[in-house]
Amino acid sequence: MTFPAIVNLFPFAADIVVLVGILAILVLDLLLPHGDKRVLGGLTILTLVVAFAVSLFYPMNGEAWGGAYVGTPMALFFKRIFYVGGILGTLGVRQQAITEFTRRQGEYFALILVSVFGMSLLPGVRDAILLVVAFETMGIPLYVLSAYARDDKKAVEGALKLYLVGAASSATMLFGLSLLFGLAGSTSLVAIAQHAGAHPSPLAMVGTVLVLGGMGFKIGVFPFHMWVPDTYEGSRTPFIAFLSAAPKVAGFALLLQLLLPAGGALLHLTLPVLMTAAVMTLFVGNFFAIRQSNVKRLLAYSGVAHVGFLLLALATGTELGIASLMFYSAGYLFTNMGAFLVVHAVATAGGDDSVESFNGLFRRSGWLSLAMLCFLLSLAGIPFVVGFWAKLFVFMAIWQAGYPALVLLGAGLSVLALFYYLRVVRAMFMTTPKSDAHITVDFATNAAIALCLAGVVGVGLYPTPVFEAARLAAIGVLGP
Amino acid sequence: MMDIRIFLSLAVVLFTIGVYGVLTRRNAVGILLSIELLANAVNLNLVAFGHFGAGAVGQVFALFSVALTVTEVIVGLAIVVLLYRTRQDITVDLASEMSR
Repeated sequence: MTFPAIVNLFPFAADIVVLVGILAILVLDLLLPHGDKRVLGGLTILTLVVAFAVSLFYPMNGEAWGGAYVGTPMALFFKRIFYVGGILGTLGVRQQAITEFTRRQGEYFALILVSVFGMSLLPGVRDAILLVVAFETMGIPLYVLSAYARDDKKAVEGALKLYLVGAASSATMLFGLSLLFGLAGSTSLVAIAQHAGAHPSPLAMVGTVLVLGGMGFKIGVFPFHMWVPDTYEGSRTPFIAFLSAAPKVAGFALLLQLLLPAGGALLHLTLPVLMTAAVMTLFVGNFFAIRQSNVKRLLAYSGVAHVGFLLLALATGTELGIASLMFYSAGYLFTNMGAFLVVHAVATAGGDDSVESFNGLFRRSGWLSLAMLCFLLSLAGIPFVVGFWAKLFVFMAIWQAGYPALVLLGAGLSVLALFYYLRVVRAMFMTTPKSDAHITVDFATNAAIALCLAGVVGVGLYPTPVFEAARLAAIGVLGP
Repeated sequence: MMDIRIFLSLAVVLFTIGVYGVLTRRNAVGILLSIELLANAVNLNLVAFGHFGAGAVGQVFALFSVALTVTEVIVGLAIVVLLYRTRQDITVDLASEMSR
């Protein structure tokens, strides 16, 4: 049986699962009595696991909505990242949602799913209108989630900052898109790129730079990174674990859809801007991270530095570069979420977010300290955890693209980064704790940390399958 | 005959005022209003491009843009109300560190 392209919904098989999950949770939320909503968190995880399984066994290729959406191997790779991110994020926030937002937890989980739904549309968009809609579907639930602790002054303040920056940045992005749309006379991203490639004009460059600037706000690129540490510090840590990883990867998935068509026409047009932003982001992230005494702020700046690496991988504009970006995204998701969840576990056990509360963690919980050690080593890029391969592949791509100086710079800054990551390691293993009380963590958070650790160590010891998948998915993405 | 450049120039002016407002206003509602200016600059662009060549798709794009901006502003106003409830004050400074 064949369908006309406009009603072909097979490329959305996994997204439809998520959509059904959202509706089921919203309806069940109304039907369940107030004290008995714990099942909704489990249902969220189940929905995402099913969506992930669908994405494993069903390729979801092909055009839909008259070519506005195209399912590709690359889209599939990113979708899997987002579903895994959603699963880990939900596991992480589950306990807090149940205890702190008991009556409102149904909407909390539904909003996470809506955000994941928006993300999972992004890597396949081929139309500016769908791009904007999917982007906002991802973004608006995140503003609500960050303000969910409505009596906490700091959380609300962080949420307002996230919101104002987010809204201003999406308006900036839209302004850029409107210029690109006007030049090409079409909302198709391929037509926009082809037009800019055939008639490169200053206006096309201004439009692309505005889109990059808007996205730069979202993913925390210098000079638009100021909000990142504040929001991370103010908001609830398990939510930040989700916010710091999945939406950033989604931002890069969006940039790829805009910059890669027509042989990377818009990428070449804005290459100097991208390169400068990437190098500055690397510098700022690493140098500001050194001074931080709060682990959440430290991880925020380290996240800025990692975005610098991802931008470098993007700026190479080669298939190897795109493949290394995809691999780096997957590794970053596991590593960063794991690290934030350990920070959360330590902070709930009577500490706060400072480096000092990690003092002697090894004696209080060997499991947490070893997990955190792996995450920090992965963030620093030490063999044999996933971060090492991620950095190595990015360096290989930059070298092949002909920028040996950038490889040296990146390697030098990685050594510098080791310094501030090891400060936390030193606190964990070589100092005495203030109290010897053993740290107990709830089951869901433990499971999330264990999954992150499995990803970090597993892919670190055997990176071939993931990198092969990324390499195969990147073949031909620079096509017409 | 109206020229498209008039509309685009107006949009650029609106956008610039909006950016200036976002960066300098310290009242959260003021920043929200500035973001509205940014969004309206976008809509003006889209409608102008639609009218002067691209066709109905420009107007459709503008409709989507309006709908998205409205949903976004609703969430934003809700957060401003929350902030007012927790500290009876809605000044924010985007450029500096958070108050401790």
